[in-house]
Amino acid sequence: MSQTKIAYYPGCTLKTTAKNFEDSALAVARALDIELVELPKWNCCGTVYSLTDDNLMYHIAPVRNLLRVKQMVRDELVTDDHRMVVLCSMCYNALKRTNLRVKENPEDLQKINDFMYLEDDDYELNVDVIHFLDLLKEIGVEKIREKVVKPLNGLKVLPYYGCMLLRPKEVGIDDPEEPNLQENILAALGAEPIDSPYRKVCCGSYLTVDNKYVVVELAYKILSHAQKAGAQALTTSCPLCAFNLDNRQKEIKEKYPGFKNIPVFYFTQLMALAFGLSNECYGFDLHHTKPEPLLKEKQLC
Amino acid sequence: MAEVKYIEGYPEEIFQLIPKVHETRSWRAENIPAAMTKEERQEVLKIHPDWAPGGKRKIVVGPNQGDIAPREVVDLLEAYPLIEKQEVDLSIPDYQVDIMVLGGGLAGTAACIWAHEMGIDKDKILLVNKLRHGDANSIMAEGGTQAADRKVDSLERHYLDTIGGGHFTNKPDVLRALVEDGPFIMHWLHELGVIFDKEENGDFVEKWGGGTSIKRMHSCRDYTGLEEFRVIRDEFISRKIGCIEHFPAVELLTDGDKVTGAVLYNLETGEYKVVAAKATILATGGFGRLHIRGFPTTNHYGATGDGVVLAYRAGAKLRDTDTVQYHPTGAAYPVQIIGYLLTEKLRTSGAQPVNIDGEAFVFAMEPRDVEAAAIIRECYVRNKGITTPSGLRGVWLDTPMIELKNGKGYIEKAFPGMDRMFRRYDIDMAKNPVLIFPTLHYQNGGVETDPVGRTTLEGLWVAGEVSGGVHGKNRLMGNSTLDCMVFGRRTGISAAEYIKKGKKQGKLTLEHVSNYVKMLKEAKIKPKRRSPILLPEYRGKKSLARALHVEV
Amino acid sequence: MKETKSKKLDPEKVMERIAEASRPTVAGVEEKDVRHWVTIYVMGRGYSVPADLTILTAMEYAGYKFIRGCGCRQGFCGACSTVYRRHGEYKLQTGMACQTRVEDGMYLVQIPFSPAEKASYDISKEAYKVNTLLKHYPELARCVACNTCTKACTQDLQVMDYIQAAIRGDFETCVNESFDCIQCGMCALRCPAEIVQYNMAQLARRLYGRNDRPEPKHLTDRLKEIEQGKFVKPLDEITKKSKEELEKLYYSREKESD
Repeated sequence: MSQTKIAYYPGCTLKTTAKNFEDSALAVARALDIELVELPKWNCCGTVYSLTDDNLMYHIAPVRNLLRVKQMVRDELVTDDHRMVVLCSMCYNALKRTNLRVKENPEDLQKINDFMYLEDDDYELNVDVIHFLDLLKEIGVEKIREKVVKPLNGLKVLPYYGCMLLRPKEVGIDDPEEPNLQENILAALGAEPIDSPYRKVCCGSYLTVDNKYVVVELAYKILSHAQKAGAQALTTSCPLCAFNLDNRQKEIKEKYPGFKNIPVFYFTQLMALAFGLSNECYGFDLHHTKPEPLLKEKQLC
Repeated sequence: MAEVKYIEGYPEEIFQLIPKVHETRSWRAENIPAAMTKEERQEVLKIHPDWAPGGKRKIVVGPNQGDIAPREVVDLLEAYPLIEKQEVDLSIPDYQVDIMVLGGGLAGTAACIWAHEMGIDKDKILLVNKLRHGDANSIMAEGGTQAADRKVDSLERHYLDTIGGGHFTNKPDVLRALVEDGPFIMHWLHELGVIFDKEENGDFVEKWGGGTSIKRMHSCRDYTGLEEFRVIRDEFISRKIGCIEHFPAVELLTDGDKVTGAVLYNLETGEYKVVAAKATILATGGFGRLHIRGFPTTNHYGATGDGVVLAYRAGAKLRDTDTVQYHPTGAAYPVQIIGYLLTEKLRTSGAQPVNIDGEAFVFAMEPRDVEAAAIIRECYVRNKGITTPSGLRGVWLDTPMIELKNGKGYIEKAFPGMDRMFRRYDIDMAKNPVLIFPTLHYQNGGVETDPVGRTTLEGLWVAGEVSGGVHGKNRLMGNSTLDCMVFGRRTGISAAEYIKKGKKQGKLTLEHVSNYVKMLKEAKIKPKRRSPILLPEYRGKKSLARALHVEV
Repeated sequence: MKETKSKKLDPEKVMERIAEASRPTVAGVEEKDVRHWVTIYVMGRGYSVPADLTILTAMEYAGYKFIRGCGCRQGFCGACSTVYRRHGEYKLQTGMACQTRVEDGMYLVQIPFSPAEKASYDISKEAYKVNTLLKHYPELARCVACNTCTKACTQDLQVMDYIQAAIRGDFETCVNESFDCIQCGMCALRCPAEIVQYNMAQLARRLYGRNDRPEPKHLTDRLKEIEQGKFVKPLDEITKKSKEELEKLYYSREKESD
C-alpha cells in the first residue's frame, strides 16, 4: 500500500516547547501509513483569528501558509492535493477561520493576493485545514485499535478539548457540547475516558503571557474537577492548553497548597505509548508534572 | 551613436572573447603555472606601481625627513593645517576622558572594548568617527583572517610566511606579537559569537591565502570583515561605551611633550569640540582615497590618510612609507564597480588570471605585489589584456574554475557578496569569467609602533592600517583583520595600564602645529594645500566649476 | 578588443596610461566622456546625469558632496540606503545608492539614518533559546507575515522568513537567511509591526556562533600549547635571524599539499 503524504503545518510551539508532541504525532502517523510532510516554508499562523473586519493585514499570515500547499502539490511533495493537517488548536482555529473568511469574501482574497506579489502563485481557496483528530476520525478507531501493542488498561484519562477546536460552530470538529473524538481514541487504546463538564472550558489561552493568574484559576478548576471525577491524567489536543494545564500547576500549588499534581499529555503521546513506539517521542523532560510515576504504577513504562 | 549590444552582461565584442577562456579551462586546471623564483619576482616588480619611477618623492620636513613616500602622501604631509590655533578655544574641553579612540573600524572598536574590559569606565572612553561607526575598510574585508591554529601549522610558520611576503622588512617584535595573538583572537571572536565557516566536525574551514605556505585563512563566507565587525560593534554598543559620529579629528592636542587630546569637527554644523584625553589611540585606517598614482581603490569613502598627518605633525615617526599595496584583483568591468575588491579567496579557491589568448600567465597565489605586477605586465608590456569600454585594460579572472574544483553551486554559497554584485550587472560569475585589474588596496607602512601599539610619542598609540611595521613593505591576505584585532586589543590594554599610572598632564595646546607650520615655511613650502582632507572630491567638474560659496 | 600595438613601454609611461584610463573613476566624470544621459530627480529636483553611473556617483556628478549617506561605496556598510520610484510605477523600490544604476525618470531620496533600538546584553550570560530573542525584542511576536521587510531589503534577503524562523526558535534558518545582512535599516523602517529585524538577527547570530558548535578542538589545543610556552623558543630564534637566513628559509619552505 502506498503511503499517503499530506501537508503538515507545525506552528511555533511544536518546534520548541512542545517538540515532543510533534515527534509523537509524526510517529503515530507513520505507524498508520501516513506521512505528515512539513511545509517547506511556513510562517506564524496569526495565533488569534482577527475579528477586525477591515484590517486585512492580520489575515495575510494564515493565507500565506495556505498558499504553500499548492506549491507542495505542484512539487509533488504530497499525494493529498488539498488538505493541510494541523496539530495545534490555536493554529487550527486561526487558519481555518481565515480560510472561511476569504472564501466568503473573494474581494478580500484578491486584495491579499495582490499584496503578496512576491509569491509565485495566488491562493485559490483550494485548501482544507484539518486537525490531526479529523484525520484520525477518518482512519477510524478500528485501525487504531489494530496498532495497539500495549493497551492502556486501567488508565483513567480526561480528554480535554478547550474551545478552539469546537467553537465557533462553523469550524468546530465535533459536537461542541458532547465531543467524543478523543474519547473514542482513548477507548481504542484501552484507557478509560472520564467525563467532566470542564473539558470544554477555556484554559485561559494566551493570557498566560500577560496575566497568568487568570490561567491559574481556570486551570485549577479544570484540573481539580478532573481529579474529582476520577481522572489520573489529562490529554489535550493543543500545545497551548497543555502548557497552561501542565506548567501552571507550579503556581496552582503555590496558591492552593492542597492541590495534587496531575500529568497532562498531548493525545498522540498516549497513542505512541500504546503503539509501542520509541521512547524518544514522549519527551517527558519537557513536562512540568512528570508522568513517569503514574505510568510506572500502571506498568506502562 | 549606435547602442552597444550586451550579451550576458558583456558588450558583444568582449563577450566573443570568452569562449577562448572556456576552451582552455580544463587544460589550465591540469597545468598550473609554477610560482616565481626570487629573480623572476624581482624582474616583474619593476612594473609594479611602487617600483615604476615617477610616483614618489622625498619628505622634506619632520621626523622622517629624507624618507621616500608616494607624492600624494608627501603632498598631505607638506600641507598646512585646517585650523589655526587662534580659531579654537582650548581652555574648556567639551569632553574629558581617559581614552579617546579615533576611528571606529575593527581596530578602534576592539581597543574600546579591551580598555573597558581593563576597568576603564564606559563614560571615560570616547570613540570618535569621521563617518558612521563602521564606515571603515574593515567591514569590506572579504577573504579572511589568518591565525596559526591548526595542528600542522605553527606560529613561526605564520611569522616566516608574513615576513617573506613583506620582503623581510617587517618589524620583528611587532610581527611576533601578531602571530602570537592570532589563536587567542580566534578564541575571542568565537566567544563573542562570530560565525566562522566550519567543517562538519566543528573544526574551522581554513583556506589558502596568497603567499602562505599552509592553509590558515579563516572566513565567514565572503563577508568576513562584515561578520567580525558587526559582532564587535554589537558588543561595543551593548557595553554602552561613548561614541560620536560624523565628527572627524582635525588635529591632535599636546601638552608640549605628550599627546593629550584632539580637536574634532562636526561635519554637518561646522562646530568644533575639544577633547582632553589621558591616552589617545589612533585607528583611523589607510589612504586608498588618495588614489596613489591615479589608481582606483577598494577603500571606503573616508580612507584619506588623516591619522598619519595628525600623528606626524605631533612628532610621531613613520616607517615603510615608500610602499603601497595594490590588490591584484580589482574589478575592471563594468564601469560602475571599477576598483572594487574581488577577494583573493577567489584565487585561493581555484580561479586563475587568464589573458586574452586563454593562457594562465601567472601562478595564482603569489604575494599581492608580485601578482599585481604580473597582471600589469600582461596588459601593458605583453599586450595580452582585454580593453574595456571605459578604456581600462584588464585580464580575465576565470571564476568558473572555482566550481570546476569545488562543485556546482559553490560560488553562490561561498561568495554571496561577489555573486550578488555581478548579478546586479547581469554577469553570472559561475558561468563566465570576470575582468580584473589591480586596484589600490592598502597602506603598508604608517606610524611606527612597538609590540603594544605605542608610538614614539608618549600618550599616543596606533592600531590597524594607520600603523607601520607589522606588515613591512607588503601585507599578506588575512593579516589586516588580524592586525586590527591584535593591536586594537593590545593598545586598549596598554593605554588602560598607562592611565592607571596617573601621569600629570599640562595645558592643552596646539603648539606642535604652530611649530610644524614654521618648519613648512622654513622649507619654503607654499600654503597651497591643506590637510587632513577628510573626504575625497568626486563632484562633477562642471558643477564644481560653477560652485559659489555664499554664507546663508 | 584585442590590443594591437606591441610597442614596449617603460614602467613610468605604463603608470601614466593606467592613470588616464582610470581618470573618470578617480577624479570625477567629465562631460566630454559621457555618451548617454538620463534624468534623475533628487528629492524632486531634476538633474541630467551620465547613464552608466550609480545613484551615488550620479549625485556626485550633479554636485552633491556626501557627508552622510556614503560609506564603503561597495555595498558592504549599509550607509547609502535609498528609496526611489520609477516614473509611472506604484512600487516603491529600495537600493543601496552605491549598488544601484540610475534609470531615466527615477525619483529618489536617501535615508542615511534609521532610528532603531538595539538591546544591550552580555552574550556570555544569554541562553541559546528563542526566549532570549523575545526577551530583548518582544515586538518580534507582532510579525503578521506581511513580507514588507522582504520587499524593502536592499540585499534581496528573505527577511520575513528569518523573522518567522526566529519566532519558532529555528536558529539555523534565521542565521543562514540573515547572514548577508548589511544592517542598512530599510526593513525596520518599513515594518508595520515595528520590528527591528536586523538587530534581532544580530543577536540570533551571536547566540548561534557561540553556542551552536563548541570551539574547535584544534584551537583549544593550540591555546594550551601557547600557554605552556611551546612557541617561545622557536619565535625567539626566528625573530633574531638575519635577512639572509630568513630568505633562505622562506624560499625553501615546503608548501602544504592541496
